[in-house]
Amino acid sequence: MIFQQILIHIFHKLNQERTISAPFHLLRGKRSGQTIQDVGIYHLHKYFGILPKLSRNKYDKELSALIEDQYLIVKEDGFYQLTKNATEKIKEMQNLPFDGWHYRGNEHIFFSRLSLIIQTLSHQKAGQMSFIPIQKDEQVQQWGKNFLKVNHYQDGQLQQKLLDELYESLEKSTIEEVGKNILGLRLSGYEMAGLTWQQISVHEKLNEMDLQLIYIASLHAWINVILLQSDQFQLLNQMVENIRIKNPLTGSAFQSAELFNNGHSIEQISKIRGLKMSTIEDHIVELAMNEPQFNVEQFVPSEDIKKILTAVDDYSTRKLKVLHEVVPHLSYFQLRLVLARGERVEA
Amino acid sequence: MLKLESVLNQFFGYSDFRPGQKEVIESVLKGQDVIALLPTGMGKSLCYQLPGYVFNQPVLIISPLLSLMQDQVDQMKQFKEKRVVALNSFLNPDQKRATIHNLHNYRFIFISPEMLLQEQVQHKLNSMQLSLIVVDEAHCISQWGFDFRPDYLRIGEVIAKEDRPPILALSATATEKVLGDIESYLKMKNTFKFIHSVDRPNIHLGKMLFQAREDKIDWMIDHVTQTAGPGIIYTTSRSKTESLSGRLLQSGIACAAYHGGMDPLDRQFIQQQFIDGTLEWIVATNAFGMGVHKQNVRQVIHESLPSNMANYMQEIGRAGRDGEDSLAILLYAEGDEELAKFIGIDDYPVDAHVDSYIGYRARKEQPASMIHNGEISETAFRVLDYWMQQLPPEGVKQQLTSMKYAKMRAVEEVMGLIDTNTCMREKLVHYFGQTLENRPNDCCQCCGIDYKNIILLRDNISRQSFHLNWEERIKKLLLGNS
Repeated sequence: MIFQQILIHIFHKLNQERTISAPFHLLRGKRSGQTIQDVGIYHLHKYFGILPKLSRNKYDKELSALIEDQYLIVKEDGFYQLTKNATEKIKEMQNLPFDGWHYRGNEHIFFSRLSLIIQTLSHQKAGQMSFIPIQKDEQVQQWGKNFLKVNHYQDGQLQQKLLDELYESLEKSTIEEVGKNILGLRLSGYEMAGLTWQQISVHEKLNEMDLQLIYIASLHAWINVILLQSDQFQLLNQMVENIRIKNPLTGSAFQSAELFNNGHSIEQISKIRGLKMSTIEDHIVELAMNEPQFNVEQFVPSEDIKKILTAVDDYSTRKLKVLHEVVPHLSYFQLRLVLARGERVEA
Repeated sequence: MLKLESVLNQFFGYSDFRPGQKEVIESVLKGQDVIALLPTGMGKSLCYQLPGYVFNQPVLIISPLLSLMQDQVDQMKQFKEKRVVALNSFLNPDQKRATIHNLHNYRFIFISPEMLLQEQVQHKLNSMQLSLIVVDEAHCISQWGFDFRPDYLRIGEVIAKEDRPPILALSATATEKVLGDIESYLKMKNTFKFIHSVDRPNIHLGKMLFQAREDKIDWMIDHVTQTAGPGIIYTTSRSKTESLSGRLLQSGIACAAYHGGMDPLDRQFIQQQFIDGTLEWIVATNAFGMGVHKQNVRQVIHESLPSNMANYMQEIGRAGRDGEDSLAILLYAEGDEELAKFIGIDDYPVDAHVDSYIGYRARKEQPASMIHNGEISETAFRVLDYWMQQLPPEGVKQQLTSMKYAKMRAVEEVMGLIDTNTCMREKLVHYFGQTLENRPNDCCQCCGIDYKNIILLRDNISRQSFHLNWEERIKKLLLGNS
């Protein structure tokens, strides 16, 4: 049960300091200040937005299973406690190469493009250019037409070239064999239909949810390989265009960040944008999380940073309320900034 | 006079028309309004596609189902028609603007009723010359139709202009009452009606009665492992498609579940596998069928009672499109009619919805928020919203009650097929206001039927297996068998 393991892992990282709903918002990639800050504070980047369509119903079902299997105890106030079982479970957990923060569902666009191109090339090879495209999205179809034209598909050389790139990039990746098989089975072509999740589930003896999680992690790892060696994978590199999120800030945070980087103070930004100070502070925390060059010391003296981090260790908590009691002279904003940067400041 | 056969040959590659097509097309070309009732699989779409090539002006096709629309556009593109477009809510604002701007350049324009009612669309359409307006699935206009869509009622208001082009209304299943509604709501004049017999003599009608529901499952597993497909099993819920297909898979049947809630890519894989013969059986809700062009479906089994005769007719009609003998079996276990009634009215507005609707109005909130607040489904809201604009609240309640009883009666009518000792085919045909001319051999369970005469035994040849290893699979996909 990969999904359960992931949930336990997230609950573990959240250090029992959030409610049982927090993983749900994280997995769906909710773009609220709270969820985004939690990503930074608790280092949950890999799981952010890996299941944008997860339903509450499904989530609650899995949660009940965790409770039933005694991994988790839910308290009356909506908070939770992990059991010994859970700590044991984390040790045996298989580590899937998710990179949710940088893809947020865009990995599916990459695969749509790939499957449309493979379907087309497969039919071209068979001399049968009349077929119904497997991808209905107009934008993906337009992209596909353009791709084929630009790469001179009529020469008939694309098939071999793409095959070579597929073999090489997948072999270079750390994706497990089962992940590669799933990717292959979700492709279709001339007289070869893809397999449904139900069918793959029968063959691979894994449940559908787990299959889809392996599939998503495999896509993340694969795209990362393609992007790292983009000059070697000329065709695949075109397919991953605009898939990885370059600017992970939310729209509003991005605007505030621009003003901040242009030298405006928080107060000024608040006035210019007509937003509350606290909202702008959220944006600055988000910026701090995402920009390695961000200098936390402009808001928090380095001695205080050390104090906070020591308190995190001593009390083994990232809960703002507790930390605030230890260093009462610092504001919540300052605490959040330091937590958002976490270990990087220590180093 | 233009030789229609040569146009048929030139654009479609057929040498002969199917029954009805030529009469309908001739009337359309003469500029007459036409209602054509043609059974599923009898080539309804040719009735407007061929005129589209004769006329040099766009044909507008109003179609209620987005998936069906997409499918028709795909089909036409597959046959190299580039000047075809679908104008529906799938388009993003930019695509929509561009499509409307270029609308006059298309030969075939598919449009949803919602889109047709939009002002910018009407503005554009008024500036163009259309050659023909097609109303597909025209029974949706009638509240007596099995699939009433209030949006459809307003089509009449929009298209009824003095200088409008002829209207072609198409349906596969409409009773006389519904035909009358179509004609009057669309304000059609001097209408030529082509009513094809709804009877499909190559589909033989079986039925099986059981004591308990579990007995149906055992019978189906037995039947499906022994007789040959390809076939479709219709059932009522998503979870049932999954559990039943699971049981059949365990019995070694190549089958798959199919329902509206599935991943879109999964649905396409299943259609493709069914068409290329990898799958023997599909276990589906009524979401499966529209736009699946498989000619050689040999069996259709109804695991539970359909909610009305029209649905039943349409679903069994997916068998035997190639004209070869096929078998439709209706299963019944005691109490099934109660279940069917419950399902029939389950997704239908009730009095409490009327009160809630009034509450929203009084609070100056959008009643449509009822959908987002989870009070009501989208389809049920469409019906409620329509009646709330037509009648005072008490009238709406009365209306809803009488529609509810109508839906329950519709189930009773299907029960008639189970209860009858006389010809099932005759009952079915009568329902559509027609008379049965001839009875085929092995007509139905009541006239006498031997399934063995109609379908073959299942052979145990192993079917094409999937290539599971990724390296082999992508190589075969890209390079074929070379």
